[in-house]
Amino acid sequence: MPEPEKKPRLDLGKFITESQLYKSMFRHGYSTSDRDRALSVMTNVFFHLHPVKVRKSGARFGFTWCAGGLSFFVFLTLVVSGILLMFYYRPTVEYAYNDIVALREHVPFGIMRELHRWGAHAMIITVWLHMFRVFMTGSYKPPREFNWVIGVILLVLTMLLSFTGYLLPWDQLAMWAITVGSNMARATPFLGHEGPGAALLSIGDIPLVHSGSDVRFALLGGRFVGAGALLRFYILHCVAIPTAAVVLMSVHFWRIRKDGGISGPL
Amino acid sequence: MAEESQMDRRSFLSWFGMAWLAFAAATTGALSIVLRALFPNVVFEPPTSFKAGLPADYEIGTVDERWKEKYGVWMIRTPEGIYALATICTHLGCTPNWLAAENKFKCPCHGSGFYKTGINFEGPAPRPLERYRIALAEDGQILVDKSRKFQQEKGEWNNPESFLNL
Amino acid sequence: MNSVSSPVTIFTGAIAVYFLFITFPRQLTSPRAALAILGLGLAFFGIGLTDGHFRKIVTTPDNVPIVGMLFVFGYFTWFAMRKAVANDIRMEKGEPTVEKLETDEKVLVFPYLIFIEFVIALVYAVGLVLWSIFLKAPLEEPANPTVSPNPSKAPWYFLGLQEMLVYFDPWIAGVLLPTLIILGLCAIPYLDRDPSTSGFYSFKGRKAVISVYLFGFWILWILLIIVGTFLRGPNWNFFGPFEVWDVHKVVPLVNVNLSDLIFIKGLSRGLPKQWFIREAPGILLVLFYLAVPPAILAKTVFKEAYKKLGAARYGFLVMLLLLMCALPIKMYLRWAFNLKYLVAIPEFFFNI
Repeated sequence: MPEPEKKPRLDLGKFITESQLYKSMFRHGYSTSDRDRALSVMTNVFFHLHPVKVRKSGARFGFTWCAGGLSFFVFLTLVVSGILLMFYYRPTVEYAYNDIVALREHVPFGIMRELHRWGAHAMIITVWLHMFRVFMTGSYKPPREFNWVIGVILLVLTMLLSFTGYLLPWDQLAMWAITVGSNMARATPFLGHEGPGAALLSIGDIPLVHSGSDVRFALLGGRFVGAGALLRFYILHCVAIPTAAVVLMSVHFWRIRKDGGISGPL
Repeated sequence: MAEESQMDRRSFLSWFGMAWLAFAAATTGALSIVLRALFPNVVFEPPTSFKAGLPADYEIGTVDERWKEKYGVWMIRTPEGIYALATICTHLGCTPNWLAAENKFKCPCHGSGFYKTGINFEGPAPRPLERYRIALAEDGQILVDKSRKFQQEKGEWNNPESFLNL
Repeated sequence: MNSVSSPVTIFTGAIAVYFLFITFPRQLTSPRAALAILGLGLAFFGIGLTDGHFRKIVTTPDNVPIVGMLFVFGYFTWFAMRKAVANDIRMEKGEPTVEKLETDEKVLVFPYLIFIEFVIALVYAVGLVLWSIFLKAPLEEPANPTVSPNPSKAPWYFLGLQEMLVYFDPWIAGVLLPTLIILGLCAIPYLDRDPSTSGFYSFKGRKAVISVYLFGFWILWILLIIVGTFLRGPNWNFFGPFEVWDVHKVVPLVNVNLSDLIFIKGLSRGLPKQWFIREAPGILLVLFYLAVPPAILAKTVFKEAYKKLGAARYGFLVMLLLLMCALPIKMYLRWAFNLKYLVAIPEFFFNI
């Protein structure tokens, strides 16, 4: 009598990795061989931000502090928490403040606003830290100089994102921080109505740059921080600046690879 | 013939230049439209002029704060008359507080101080507070017009419209 | 503590510490010294927290990230300098740097790098959730355009700029200096191009560059944020770390312009009517400051740099450095002479 065929033990891992669904998603085996490990980077659009291999010195936490990668992760968490907040928030003088109060009390696990606010603070710190690391290792030097410039712009965008978001709760803290901050724009040379040189731009007695036509007005959509400013800051915060940041981030990551990967000594 | 149909170098460059010029013009045009879109023709902001009651409502020597909240104006009655001071700090636009005990306006944001006249004397404010146009309306009430302002450093406080003689 | 703390002592003290640090990085980055500094910092906080006012300021939800940032940046400054010093010592001995040893070796991104990123992301996510559970996001009264809170503060990361506003006019502190900071940061790789110190921690070969950066970052940015957040109270008056914020604290702030000093005090006569005569000394002084030092420095201290960079780059570099130094110079002028403006032309909103 032939020995009965031994029924193989059900291997859940194998069952999953050999299923059609898994294979259709990943197109390679689970990463146990170098080939699969390489494939898992190459065939994955998210991991593909990375090259397949990096310098050993550059893969050390002690070298990069992982500050750049962390900044990106923080940005992603802010996108997610921000989208959830947008479901409950209306950017009008009438509703904004009440929506923020309601957010805390009417929504289960009401810490979404906290996650967003503290995340924003954290992102500023991680971005500064990333810049500090890049500076201390001299990684901005040729051929990476332009990527440093893009990084500086991203730093500015990060702070602008945080600044525009600061107004949205529409409380005293928000309103006066933005009043003080945006009043500096009044003093922009030539473009602000209280800036040096603005008085020179006039036709006869009619000033071209006045409180209704200067940069501050363009920013606030009004002569003071009011309904127009709230709407404009909301759009800047949720659409305009994030879009610019995402575009520049793509360039930033792409150029890390094109400029020779994470820096190392010559 | 082939040679004739080919553009020579110079005319090619001039065509090229024209193309760039057209492109630049189109871009500038598009950008100026974007820029213009930032400035609405109508802004829904509170009216700029208001009636501030009868001169007799104001006590001589005091800084009257009744219009501060609604219109952002202090009315100051002196023995000679009345003037309307803007409640906007000339430093960064915060709203100063009137400290009656110390007889001065003090801005909470960066500590600028102003005398009762509006002249700056301490802190970072670079110039005095602004005064608004003030006049008597036909019904005897005081009319304050915020769309016209007078700045001391330009010598505009000598303008009769900046001060209501009583 | 309250009586000795003033903007002058804090700023001067910080500059002294800064010079100690860049002069003796080897001694000061030893683990023992670092632990001593950390101990001092923690002790200061520990003792400080027993004071009600200090506790209130430091644990304000919006201020907590600043305290965290201080420890984070303190640690990483030490960490980077420690690695830099170790590499310097290795290079002196003729050994390759730590990074150089591993630079030719390649590792697979998956799993090695992905693993690090994953762990960091996880740690951050857990930390953020805990942070959010224990600290509520602040929400004050609804916005009211007619009542300015006292003090009114910008978000903390802009408080360095707001602190500069005490010493400069808005068009300088709010527009010119931020633009210059951004431009200056962008310009770094075009002014410091030596590729031999790229890609590893080092200090000896980049002493000047790192010193300028640390000065700008720690003294002119972080320190001003600390002063602006923790030590500026009602009416933007200065308060010691343990001093209760009294709304009625009276600080005489009678500042004078250079033109007052020269014409009224110096020459004992009235101010000239024409602004260009009145402000001529100030304008000349500013022009002198921007024109003469570059020429002198090019012949003396920066001779090498001038040769290496060429006239255009050198000019740009010196201009940036001079404008950077303008901030501490103006601060000290204010403290020493109550000087408000060097050039004051309110007619054109032009004050320096």
